[in-house]
Amino acid sequence: MGIMRMGYAHVRVTDMTEAKNHYASTLGLYETLEDTSPEGNKRVFYKGWDEWDHHSVVLEEGGVGVVKYGWKVEHEADIDAIEKKAQTFGLTVERMSSGENPEVGDGIRFTTTSDHVFEVYHSQTSIGTEVGTHNPDPFPRHLVGVGVPALDHSLITCEDPKLMEKLLMEVFGFYATERVQTSLDADHDLVGTWLTSNNQIHQLAVIGGPQGKLHHFAFRLDDWSQVGHAADIFTMDDVSVDVTPTRHGITRGQTTYFFDPSGNRNEVFAGGYLAYPDRPTNVWTVDQLGQGIFYHARELNERFTTVLT
Amino acid sequence: MTTIIVQPSGTEIHVEPGDTVLSGLQKAGYAYTVGCRRGGCGICKIDVLDGEFSYCRPVAETVITDEERADGTCLSCRAVPGDDLTIQMRDASLRLVNPLLGQLNEKARKRAKAPSTPPEEQ
Repeated sequence: MGIMRMGYAHVRVTDMTEAKNHYASTLGLYETLEDTSPEGNKRVFYKGWDEWDHHSVVLEEGGVGVVKYGWKVEHEADIDAIEKKAQTFGLTVERMSSGENPEVGDGIRFTTTSDHVFEVYHSQTSIGTEVGTHNPDPFPRHLVGVGVPALDHSLITCEDPKLMEKLLMEVFGFYATERVQTSLDADHDLVGTWLTSNNQIHQLAVIGGPQGKLHHFAFRLDDWSQVGHAADIFTMDDVSVDVTPTRHGITRGQTTYFFDPSGNRNEVFAGGYLAYPDRPTNVWTVDQLGQGIFYHARELNERFTTVLT
Repeated sequence: MTTIIVQPSGTEIHVEPGDTVLSGLQKAGYAYTVGCRRGGCGICKIDVLDGEFSYCRPVAETVITDEERADGTCLSCRAVPGDDLTIQMRDASLRLVNPLLGQLNEKARKRAKAPSTPPEEQ
């Protein structure tokens, strides 16, 4: 099937002590490794309780914003296939050796038309989930903070969302579940696009904006009550909350946005409908963008399209 | 005591020691356009016309450039005044959204500014 999921989001933080407090104590991720990057920056690796691979979030000290994303493919041969498609698309692809990222196998690396670095790999050391695979309980008894189970998706910005959508479709085999367009006419401009390769409502979304920027990366929750509980914890822990619990029109997901101590935007996301490649793409027109993003308030807050890292 | 003077109106706001510029203004009932409030997005930049400040936390070079560190640009969510500051807002104007806090701040500012009265001799 090619790309299975976003395997890891690797981001920069300005203060590792504060960042660890946020990602481990407030969000409840499990630290799996602490090391120093080849450039000499402190790094910390995390996984969620329901993830079996070694890590899904990497923090690197020194700045803000996204360093790169890792994408895990189902079969080893998928790496070669994606490499060929990327080259056909016109991208420069380099080979990535096992161990360049701790516990991650061979793969490829390229910079997208949006100026984001993507790595594609097939193997990562499997640690196992917190509840195991034999007669597993539905969740661990002693979750910390929000206790997020897994990384879910990300939203990035670039100057040409249409070109980035084309790349994700032709190179990754993604399909669009939702789009925001300037009109319903054939000559519309694409304002934003939400894409996936499987039943997950979106794995990566792209909206117009500056090149190479991070809007947010999100963690998966089950339902409204967990989103509300997460928001309670954020206030208890003095997390800077961007948007209190609400629903998206786009994807129907339930959400709360917040910022990590460095200003990178995070989200906890629940629900949304099941995606299928043959499902017609939902289309939102820009005049309804407020309802599309924040279904209840029906208007964008002033931060949503301006605050990026 | 620290006072923040907002130009061009000349509005004077009392700020407690250790408060950032943003938290001091918000505690006094004022609001303006801010973003992450964690030093990462740069939306809350203002200009410092006079006075000294320092950053209470690390600030990324991509958020405040070397040039900005020298030209009076102030990332207000992370800047702590060292003494009285004279500032000027950029795109977003400062607006009083909580008059009650504004009144309390004005009283605190006047109390802090009043000359101390020596205790009467017994």
